[in-house]
Amino acid sequence: MRRTVLLIISLALLAGTAAYAHHSYGATYDTSREIKLEGKVVQFVFRNPHSFVHVQAPDPAGAEQRWAVEWAGTSQLSNSGVSRESLKVGDDVIIVGRPSRVPGEYRLLMVTLKRPVDGFTWGTKGGETVD
Amino acid sequence: MWGDMDNAFRNKIVHMGLLLTVGVLMSLPAFAQPARPAIPIDIAGEWRLENNEEDTTAQPPLGDYLGIPFNDAGRMRSDTTAESIWGIPEFQCRPHAFPHQWRGLGGARILKEQDPLTRDVKTYHIQFMRSLDRPVFMDGRPHPPAWAPHTWTGFSTGEWIGNTLKVTTTHLKDGYLKRGGPQTSDMYTMTEYITRHDDILTIVTYMDDPLYEDEPYIQSTTYYYDPASTVATETCNGSAFAENGGTDRHHVPHFLPGQNTAWKDWLKNEPGIPEEAVRGGIKTVYPEYRSTLNGSTPIASLTVPSSKSTFAVDKRIADQSPKDGQVHVMPVQGNIYMLVADGTNITVSVGQEGVLVVNTGSATMSDKILAAINQLSSSVTAQAATNKCAGADCPGIWGWSSPYINSIISSPAPSKPIRYIVNTSAAPDHIGGNEKLASAGYFPRVAGFGAAVENVGRIASIVAHENVLNRMSAPAGKQAAAPAAALPTDTYFDEFNKLPAFVNGEAVVLYHAPAANTDGDSLVFFRRSDVISAGNIFSTVSYPIIDIDKGGSIEGVINGLNQILDLAVAEYRGQGGTYVIPSHGRLSDTADVASYRNMLVMVRDRVQDLIKKGMTLEQVKAAKPTMDFDGRYGSNSGSWTTAMFLEAVYKSLKEKK
Repeated sequence: MRRTVLLIISLALLAGTAAYAHHSYGATYDTSREIKLEGKVVQFVFRNPHSFVHVQAPDPAGAEQRWAVEWAGTSQLSNSGVSRESLKVGDDVIIVGRPSRVPGEYRLLMVTLKRPVDGFTWGTKGGETVD
Repeated sequence: MWGDMDNAFRNKIVHMGLLLTVGVLMSLPAFAQPARPAIPIDIAGEWRLENNEEDTTAQPPLGDYLGIPFNDAGRMRSDTTAESIWGIPEFQCRPHAFPHQWRGLGGARILKEQDPLTRDVKTYHIQFMRSLDRPVFMDGRPHPPAWAPHTWTGFSTGEWIGNTLKVTTTHLKDGYLKRGGPQTSDMYTMTEYITRHDDILTIVTYMDDPLYEDEPYIQSTTYYYDPASTVATETCNGSAFAENGGTDRHHVPHFLPGQNTAWKDWLKNEPGIPEEAVRGGIKTVYPEYRSTLNGSTPIASLTVPSSKSTFAVDKRIADQSPKDGQVHVMPVQGNIYMLVADGTNITVSVGQEGVLVVNTGSATMSDKILAAINQLSSSVTAQAATNKCAGADCPGIWGWSSPYINSIISSPAPSKPIRYIVNTSAAPDHIGGNEKLASAGYFPRVAGFGAAVENVGRIASIVAHENVLNRMSAPAGKQAAAPAAALPTDTYFDEFNKLPAFVNGEAVVLYHAPAANTDGDSLVFFRRSDVISAGNIFSTVSYPIIDIDKGGSIEGVINGLNQILDLAVAEYRGQGGTYVIPSHGRLSDTADVASYRNMLVMVRDRVQDLIKKGMTLEQVKAAKPTMDFDGRYGSNSGSWTTAMFLEAVYKSLKEKK
């Protein structure tokens, strides 16, 4: 019994470390703001330490930009049912994220993702936060 | 009984007793060496981090410098460095900087490497989740010279002081004290005191970075021995541009001075913390600071104890490119060596074909440089070797062992000649030795073929961009800047120039960096050795020398550095791989070039912003837009001062408009 408890604690610790960012999210992104992108997936980088979704979408001035949306690492995404096959290039998506603190940077921290064509979502259920 | 013994037996016992006594005495020093405790503490094993510090699991807020004895330069550098700098291709796989590494999650593993005979610990190896192997040498070896490369893990040596292992680390790259902003330079020394009490490991780290701190920053971290745990491993395998939004692979995120006020946001929820303390500084570190909070002591008149840096940082920077009248040889990679010659680096390719030299140093150093090149060539290509075989066992077509006997009895073959000289610019310390080195070399020519300039005799080929030749020569009847024998014999005018054939078994390509330091700068890429000789575009000891009158510009230098970054590939986690030799300073890699490029982009954008605000050159200088980098790269005296650099940046940006 004791061994089982230790094993569970160890696994929990390991899972926790995989989600640990090398940089500070709070320092990178303005966590008090959210912006919404509506565009097409042009690349999905499913990797550690963090995954990235690249989306072609207009900036606030209306000009098309390639946005890098930072997502969780592979362990955390896998635990929430996301795999490298979950997003396809060309998917129309609606992403809500926290913008970079640096003016003029086209990157976001993922808060929610929605693919209207099949209702796929991330970020609305418990545990689906990038941390 | 003693009296009953015969004399012979009695003598035998006395002798045995003496021998035992001597033996015991002889063995004592082995247990009393001052360099380590009587029984060295075993720190090897798996260690679990005690997560009791704010910056282990929590996301530290931007601009939180509580407890950091920052000076103004450190504060400015940290305020203007964006955390999303992690996203640039060169940094996204870097491990944690070492001041923070002990507090990064994932545990620590300490391994020991023993001498097989004495069983002394020769080296400890410390591993973390994302780190590279970090050896701590216990064998008393010295730290490398200042012109050796810096790495993420640095160069560490250890010694026991009682039951505490003292680890001294130098040669670290620039990084950060903790996540979320507070930066370090690349000139700091880190000293760790590692003590084990039963199953608790305490690590006290002492970061001595006088460029950014008024006194060393000290922190302690606790680990627990946990043989059941294992160090987590996390690879970094993303594409180089995964983290960058936009389409500019050379984008450098940063804040302009005054733009980053993030600490004000989180302070709204921390009413008990004074803003002054959040900004760090030596006066806020000590308990005496509390007397300023109730107004009893104005902070301006507060005096606190302080411990100063243990080293002279100006000397440490200058030692990367020592002006000592000597030639120091630094092996690099493949065919390539770096000669550190009285303040100028000379890149040398040595092989069976001969020698290729990039830049020739100052004229006064020519004899010493030539002697060093000849010695190097001899040691690489004509080194006397011990006999490897005997009699009919010797392979080859030469008969009975003759080549091997000859190798012993004959003197070594002469060194190979200098075939090529490449000048990356017409700077005096790039061309000063052209005449002497070229005349000592030999590039095989057939009359009328094989060279842009005919009838140059048995000299080495001197290759450069044509603007270098333009700077050195003059029309007929006018005085040229350099003697005819020093002039380039082969020039190019295009974006790049491939040498016509392999040199020492590899392709050598020159890339023109337009309007950089001047209008004639080249980078030299040794493709198989994977080394780039960067010329004046890159330096680890000064701001780039930009000669506006000779066609230079800040934009051109940044573009040249970006070209190096495009050509170079890091070996792993953003370090190693392609090595880059600056004309002045230490041997470097992609991360070092990226740091230098980042610095110049920040300076350019700051000056550009001040120009947009309508400031004159004098007003720009007074605004001190380079204050956070001046201690590292600036100078108030000599041939290239901070004021001259700022003027060059200002003028090149004004002329661009």
